[in-house]
Amino acid sequence: MPPTSFRDELVAEISNLRAFAISLSGSVSLADDLVQETLLRAWSKSDKFQPGTSLRAWLFTILRNIYYSNYRKRAREVQDSDGAYARRLIVSGDQESHLDLEDFRKALARLPTEQREVLILVGANGLSYEEAATICDVEIGTIKSRLSRARSKLVELLALDNSREPPAEHQKIKQAS
Amino acid sequence: MTKSNPAENGPLNAMEESTLDGAALDPKVLETIGRALKAHYDDLVQAPLPEKFLHLLARLEEEEREQSWGKPDASD
Repeated sequence: MPPTSFRDELVAEISNLRAFAISLSGSVSLADDLVQETLLRAWSKSDKFQPGTSLRAWLFTILRNIYYSNYRKRAREVQDSDGAYARRLIVSGDQESHLDLEDFRKALARLPTEQREVLILVGANGLSYEEAATICDVEIGTIKSRLSRARSKLVELLALDNSREPPAEHQKIKQAS
Repeated sequence: MTKSNPAENGPLNAMEESTLDGAALDPKVLETIGRALKAHYDDLVQAPLPEKFLHLLARLEEEEREQSWGKPDASD
């Protein structure tokens, strides 16, 4: 039986796990099913978890495996993404952000899943390339190139000014100073 | 303006790195994307959680407790 502290640690990771699941599937309802299944599997395989290693990385690995084997097709069919889930979840806009978040989300949703997940793992969660490589079961170089392509694609989709010239007049995007 | 852009210091290495690392992008643009990504993700992380996950874990724990109590003791 997993010790009670394992349950507490799981509870502490649910928000993050769900955010990752929504980012992967683009659907809140699919994400909730996915998180539920991940928790069930993590519980039944708790003896496989090595204490001292990152529980988050372990859970992400499980969730990702379930997603790619069972959910990917469904995610394409459901598609309540494209900003719909965001509007439901987001209460207020972030004043700090220099980008219209809604535009950003739409662009993010258009990235291939492999690129989006690396952005989420490394860019949003701050995981190392090594951890991301372990989770995605690929080489570190693959992580780096996916990250690079993801960023370039976002810049393209958002029509960000990447000219390195002094920024031109722009309605929506204020360059960070 | 570009001040400390590593891509302009070591052309060969930088070119190799840039295709891998996104360093070909303006650091300001990268920062803008990074911030938007964090804002987006933080919103998701901070969204209220459905209670069902906590219920699920509570149920799993309960089931295991019952199982371990219900097991016939080998030394019996």
